[in-house]
Amino acid sequence: MTAFDYAPAIALLPFVSFLVALFGGQYLPKKGALAGIAATAGSLVLSAWVALTVAGGQTYNEALYTFTAGLETFDLHLGILIDPLTALMLLIVSFIALLVHVFSLGYMNDEGETGLPRYYAGLGLFTASMLGFVYADNILMAFMFFELVGLCSYLLIGFNFREAGPPSAAKKAFLVTRFGDYFFLIGVVGIFVTFAGATQTPGLFAGEGSFPVVAEHAIVDGATEGLNTFGFEPQTWFTILGLLVLGGVMGKSAQFPLHTWLPDAMEGPTPVSALIHAATMVAAGVYLVARMYGFYALTPTTLAVIALVGGFTALFAATMGVVKQELKQVLAYSTISQYGYMMLALGSGGYIAAVFHLTTHAVFKALLFLGAGAVIIAMHHEENMWEMGGLKDKMPVTYYTFLAGSLALAGIVPFAGFWSKDEVLYEALIHGFGTEGGLGTVFLVAYAMGLLAVFFTGFYTFRMVYLTFHGEARTETAKKPHGVRWNVKGPLAVLGILATTIGFVNLAPVKKLTGLEVDFLHKWLLGAEGSGWEALLTGYEHYEHVLHDGPAHVLVGEPLGATGTLIASALLSLGLAVAGVLAARSLYKVPEPVEHTDKLGSIKTLLMHNYYQDEYQVWLATGFTYPLSRAADKFDQGVIDGVVNGISSVSLFSGSRVRRLQTGVVTNYALFITIALVVLLVVFGLTGGWF
Amino acid sequence: MVAVAALLAVTLLGAIATFLVDDRYAAKFATAVSTIPLVGSVWMYYVYLTEYQGVGNALLSPDTVAFRQTIDWIELGGYTIQYSVGLDGVSMPLLALTGILTTLALVSSWTPIDERQSQFYGLMLLMEVSLIGVFSALDFFFWFVFWEGVLIPMYLLIGVWGGPRRKYAAIKFFVYTNVASLVMFVGFFTLVFSLGDSIATLGLPEITQALVAGEMGSLAGIAVADLKLLAFVLMFVGFAVKVPVFPLHTWLPDAHVEAPTPVSVMLAGVLLKMGTYALLRFNFTMLSDVATGSVLAIMPVAIAVIGVFSVIYGALLALAQRDLKRIVAYSSISSMGYVILGLVAFTPHGMGGATFQMISHGLISGLMFMAVGVIYNETHTRMVGDMSGLADRMPWTVGIFVSAAFGYMGLPLMSGFAAEVFIFLGSFGATDTLGTLAPVLTSIAMFGIVIVAGYLLWAMQRTLFGGYELETDYELDGAAFHDVAPLAVLLLLVILLGVAPDLSYGMIQEAVNPILEIGGGV
Repeated sequence: MTAFDYAPAIALLPFVSFLVALFGGQYLPKKGALAGIAATAGSLVLSAWVALTVAGGQTYNEALYTFTAGLETFDLHLGILIDPLTALMLLIVSFIALLVHVFSLGYMNDEGETGLPRYYAGLGLFTASMLGFVYADNILMAFMFFELVGLCSYLLIGFNFREAGPPSAAKKAFLVTRFGDYFFLIGVVGIFVTFAGATQTPGLFAGEGSFPVVAEHAIVDGATEGLNTFGFEPQTWFTILGLLVLGGVMGKSAQFPLHTWLPDAMEGPTPVSALIHAATMVAAGVYLVARMYGFYALTPTTLAVIALVGGFTALFAATMGVVKQELKQVLAYSTISQYGYMMLALGSGGYIAAVFHLTTHAVFKALLFLGAGAVIIAMHHEENMWEMGGLKDKMPVTYYTFLAGSLALAGIVPFAGFWSKDEVLYEALIHGFGTEGGLGTVFLVAYAMGLLAVFFTGFYTFRMVYLTFHGEARTETAKKPHGVRWNVKGPLAVLGILATTIGFVNLAPVKKLTGLEVDFLHKWLLGAEGSGWEALLTGYEHYEHVLHDGPAHVLVGEPLGATGTLIASALLSLGLAVAGVLAARSLYKVPEPVEHTDKLGSIKTLLMHNYYQDEYQVWLATGFTYPLSRAADKFDQGVIDGVVNGISSVSLFSGSRVRRLQTGVVTNYALFITIALVVLLVVFGLTGGWF
Repeated sequence: MVAVAALLAVTLLGAIATFLVDDRYAAKFATAVSTIPLVGSVWMYYVYLTEYQGVGNALLSPDTVAFRQTIDWIELGGYTIQYSVGLDGVSMPLLALTGILTTLALVSSWTPIDERQSQFYGLMLLMEVSLIGVFSALDFFFWFVFWEGVLIPMYLLIGVWGGPRRKYAAIKFFVYTNVASLVMFVGFFTLVFSLGDSIATLGLPEITQALVAGEMGSLAGIAVADLKLLAFVLMFVGFAVKVPVFPLHTWLPDAHVEAPTPVSVMLAGVLLKMGTYALLRFNFTMLSDVATGSVLAIMPVAIAVIGVFSVIYGALLALAQRDLKRIVAYSSISSMGYVILGLVAFTPHGMGGATFQMISHGLISGLMFMAVGVIYNETHTRMVGDMSGLADRMPWTVGIFVSAAFGYMGLPLMSGFAAEVFIFLGSFGATDTLGTLAPVLTSIAMFGIVIVAGYLLWAMQRTLFGGYELETDYELDGAAFHDVAPLAVLLLLVILLGVAPDLSYGMIQEAVNPILEIGGGV
């Protein structure tokens, strides 16, 4: 037996905890929390075992359950793909889910919340769905679990259903992401139909016969036999398919313009926010791009779109984070912005940088949300930062771990976020300089937006830190905060240490400068000849080959020389981050801070209203679609049904008139008969030629 | 095999007996009677799954059809009328659906039906007899008797036990569908007469094979191709009323709103499927050459456009409603539009998915109507806006309601998702019949999955969540076990078929694939 034989259990264990919590939670001592903790711990152990096996050079790509055996057409199946990317993500998801479960003991159970079985059932199903998504071996299965992740976010965001806000936010989250998934589903269906004639396994992600590889053969080698591209050039058609799938990515990963659900989703309990933002729902979108990167790397247009959307979202969301007053709102916009960085990296050819940032972000964003949760417990569920202040001395564990997370988010050396964000920007920069034509320019524009966002990130992060923890306590609650227990401090401490250190898994710049082999993540994801899993064709070495030799021709350019460019890029991003932190420090690290953002005037109004993105989307739903449906209803009732009723009234009316002939008077009938006979005789006579 | 005959006979006798039973015992008695066709049809399903292989299509390979029985009856106008029944992969799941839904609908009647019980339950069982007949008969005469036989109990069930406007709704339903039957009848006999002496019976397989063999002659100076086209259009219109398809759908919301819950369950769950079942048998099997456009090239695209329009239009109408039952009623129009799209795609997944959607929608719409019914029994209102926060008072009912709604939205691992994905996979690449419009029309139809999420989530937010309020004078005392149990059973079936669609999809594909092979030939 190898670890892979137990791989299905990684997702099934949290699913069992879902069932246990749902049906038995009310009889259990911690209302299902312990089942969830046991299940996610089990998943974590199995994921670690899987990761060790993968480290030994083994991978797994098998169909396990035939969903539908197609008769005279293709099969649909559920299967498991485990390569180093999957193994890494499984670890992240099960690890964060475990910590969130433990933290929930403090945030939910200790606070006396009701409906806990439902809560833990939701967490279990959420974790199970995400894990199922992560190791899906084909794009239909990925879509299925992607949708289940959406369901779970609906259930958990709307957890406090007795209030007005959460059900509305839950509905919005599901609807906006489903709008994205609509395009994704067209993409999935399109991929199956396109590749069904060319391969036995049209939806597969990895290996020969998988759709990215078949697409590569079609574009690079011109092997288009059996492909159905609906009359388009393969490259054009693959671009369309890629962009369609990207719709789902932008919905789930909250990329502009489908980011609007995410800040509202803060209505959910805070541990749920940590899970959504760090490891599940929002990560799913970016992970999907990474999962099928071989397909995206083929089409320069999709790369350009991904890079631009990412760079723009990174900047756009960061500017909104600057004016928010509630702790969780700042974090929400930072999430949108950080996932923008990952998209920027993926679009500009920095596959490893994106996965690296996904990893570090999972750690520091989970930390920040759980830290925010600790603050919210302490503040008796007050979330406005202006009601806080001076919490530093009263809750040192929370403060120092939160600080570590903030330094990581701001990208200050040597915390985790510095290394990954620096690599994202560096990759965008060198590929921007190296790639010829419009694509290179797009990379540079996206890079510039990402770079500018670094300043804002440093600013809003430390504005948040200073307002929450420094200065004088501004309210009575902040003077006497509620204490937190081990189940809150424990996860914070673990994440705090990781947020400080996890950047060391990929010290790519250090390797370039000193030659030390310290870029472990790079090696992990490389998949070179002899690594044992090069046949899956999901390693970076293969992607790099596609990027270079495919139509995108992504190349490296270093205008200041290898070392010079590296150092210049790092200094630039670090300098901007520090500048942002210092700006925040000078404005807000004072005993009685004031709302300096008021000086922005109308810009602040614009930012507080999130650039009026919500307004137009709400208008699309309630100002356009709903009136359209009312009009359709009027048309249906009036015209369509009117015709039906009209026909029946005409027959009733004519019936009532014809009835008058039936008078019951025999002489009248005799008259009718005589007239009719005469008429008939005349007619027959005329036609028969009697006259 | 006398299985079908036994099913028909026992159910008919049970129905007659129910009329004679005292009102106090009618509910339990009828439910007990209905377990016989329930167990019988599920047992037949099991036998079919395990013992019958390579059954094929009932009309194209009648010799291999399951549970086949043929007895000559009388001579009529030169044709031998036969008692002829048999089941294939299309009708077998529909028969099981009928058995399951009838029993569950009867259980869900216990609470709301409180007068003339013996007549109500007797009519429900009488309707089941006809439904069993419709899905198993292979002779046109018998088939048509059962087809019309469904109308009378349904007319009475709406007209006697319905809501305030029950008379209007019942008459509208009856006249509308009856006129449609007439139109279809004319269309069918156009075929029969033009086949002349080449057929000796009104057996559907014999007629189909004669048509496929090209035995049709001209009639009254009209060319064969035109006759086929005429018959196709007449039959399509006739069946489209039953489905219903835009613009022939307006009887449906009225009928649903006025009908009592269990009758709505049968109407949406099984009766609408008679329309799509007949379309599949008559239009898309007997006249598959017309359906694929070999007589009139625009035909498949025209039908697909009607289907896609029904999807979007029905969903938009659902969005405009305040009455929960109307919402579900209009969304049925939307869901049945997918069936039309799948059928006309004329590909394995398209036609298979369309048939699977009949089963899936039968379960899910039955579930939704029952869930709305339970809420209505408790609150005595169905209006969005008259109530909120029901989740607080009836958590399990609301839990099932939410699950059912997500099933309706096509959540993966529930049957609706499988059905819709099959249809989309089948129609997206259906360039043989729909040309380059195939991916375009499919993509438009798919937008239905966004609108359906919109109106169901919106309705749920306003009725189930928020603070508890109720505008009526009733106090919620919690639904009884026998009200909620049928919901749970249906939900489990929806999940079962969603996780293992091949339980039905395997036999469905065996039955529809032979149709595709004869598709193009005149």
